[in-house]
Amino acid sequence: MSEVIRLEKLTKTYGRRRGLAGLDLTVGEGEVFGYLGPNGAGKSTTIRLLLDLIRPTDGRALLFGTDCRRAVAHLRRRIGYLPGDFTVAPRQRVEQCLDHLAALRGGVPRARIDALAGRLDLDLGARIGALSKGNRQKVGLVQAFMHRPDLLILDEPTSGLDPLVQQTFLDLVREAKLAGQTVFMSSHVLTEVEAVADRVGMIREGRLVALDTVAQLRDRAAHDVEITFVGPADQAGLAALPEVSDLVVDGQTARLRLSGSPDALIRLLAGHRLARLRVTEPDLEHLFLAHYRTDDTVEASRA
Amino acid sequence: MPEVMTRTLWEGRRALAGFAAGTALVGALYAGFYPQVADGAMGQAVQGFSPAMREALRMEDLTSAAGYLGSSVFGIIVPLVAVIWGVATGARAIAGEEEAGHLDLLLAHPVSRTRVVLDRFAALTAGAALIAAAVWVAMLAVRPGADLGDVGVVEFAAQCLALALLVVVFGTLTLAIGAATGSRGAALGGGAAAVALTYVIQALAGQLGAGALRHLSPFHHYIGGEPLRHGFQWDGLATLAGTALVLLAVAVLSFDRRDLAT
Ligand SMILES: Nc1ncnc2c1ncn2[C@@H]1O[C@H](COP(=O)(O)OP(=O)(O)OP(=O)(O)O)[C@@H](O)[C@H]1O
Ligand SMILES: [Mg+2]
Repeated sequence: MSEVIRLEKLTKTYGRRRGLAGLDLTVGEGEVFGYLGPNGAGKSTTIRLLLDLIRPTDGRALLFGTDCRRAVAHLRRRIGYLPGDFTVAPRQRVEQCLDHLAALRGGVPRARIDALAGRLDLDLGARIGALSKGNRQKVGLVQAFMHRPDLLILDEPTSGLDPLVQQTFLDLVREAKLAGQTVFMSSHVLTEVEAVADRVGMIREGRLVALDTVAQLRDRAAHDVEITFVGPADQAGLAALPEVSDLVVDGQTARLRLSGSPDALIRLLAGHRLARLRVTEPDLEHLFLAHYRTDDTVEASRA
Repeated sequence: MPEVMTRTLWEGRRALAGFAAGTALVGALYAGFYPQVADGAMGQAVQGFSPAMREALRMEDLTSAAGYLGSSVFGIIVPLVAVIWGVATGARAIAGEEEAGHLDLLLAHPVSRTRVVLDRFAALTAGAALIAAAVWVAMLAVRPGADLGDVGVVEFAAQCLALALLVVVFGTLTLAIGAATGSRGAALGGGAAAVALTYVIQALAGQLGAGALRHLSPFHHYIGGEPLRHGFQWDGLATLAGTALVLLAVAVLSFDRRDLAT
């Protein structure tokens, strides 16, 4: 798998303020990468460095193996970009706007634009200025996806989208991945990207504080389980299971945290009569942060 | 296809059409007063002005057609209206678009920053040419009715070409300030200040005993050689064109270096 994005000690300072501090990161071809971080963490800074809209103070960023300060026009041909704040001239119609952006790329089949607009339920005849925030964001999504770029760089793509359209967006990302396209997308929360991302990275104050595959996160994820027995809870049996922790028994009800396989638990419970069983989805966000809290402090003390 | 250039012209079409029509109209109106002026009414009014004042306002000779047009129509009104368009267009070209947040998206496309500056400059030049052409057509239209036959078609063309280049110079200066700073306010302010300052230099340098200073003023190169009398003044035109190209180079280089504002 070749590298599509490679950041080497990428640093950006604004005056005395820190934007990015020596970021190292690679994203492989065909990968969907979720780039997370709170407000002001440096997500947009990273993305704008990749597009050569701003220049690094130190270090460098490579796209498709080429320094992104070089062969700029050639590189951008292969990229679809959704800015964090998608703004275009308000007086034009959606169709005019998309036609112009397509012309800058040497043209995009009309059917492709129509299909994307249809799926996102975007009215091509509307004036940009008359669109709601979410609908304007859809214009941004269409222009980023329409030319089927090798690399999609999306800065907070889901901002302003209703849940239904968010699902459509995730479908678009899945299709892009199937077609071998690479996706680099930023977000504030893991829940928005975990469904499609192969890997997630989190930055805070310009530093990468966490990096993991979603699959590994899931494996590590503990489920919160609540079991109500008919009759007294089998405290001893539950406590004996290695996957079970944080066991609390309250009369007939047992609450516990299950890590790893549920197999042993299910076998144990099969020997009992149950009134109720509830398993709560793991909160990956929580886990993600908890897992890296230590690394985070290490980073912080080193700084 | 220079998509950015055509797009820039398209987006500015209303302002351009308005300015072209407005400049031509106001020029034609003032040119139409010439018969009354030639009668001597204006000449008498100006008699009370000091010679220095008359020189500054290019009013030494108001009775000839070329003298009248050179002082009023092409001396103040037409260039000032046209230059306002140039400065406004130059300010919007880079800094205005940047402040509006449009450049991030544009420059994420396969278009280099240099290309954007060059296309915006080309649109500015095309617009200036259109305004000048409209003025030229308007002058030819009123020429027979307003006794302006002494000024030939070619002389009008020479003056209008100089007008176009004057607009390009101030437009490019404004564009360059915007390209270097990213501030539309700085560009507008700088451009307008340069217009006012160089106009004053051109008008007053003679009386201040600093005649050489007026070579610093684009207005001097625009009208100092009296194209309405003598036709194309190639050194003046070349100076204007050269100035615009130097400013364009400054714009390209400075814009390519800096960070884009969000
Ligand atoms: N042009 C600028 N001038 C000065 N400081 C800037 C500039 N752009 C960004 N910064 C600073 O750099 C840091 C990172 O900003 P950035 O926009 O990359 O954050 P972000 O992760 O995208 O945040 P958000 O989630 O709010 O979009 C912030 O502290 C911000 O104030
Ligand atoms: Mg951001």
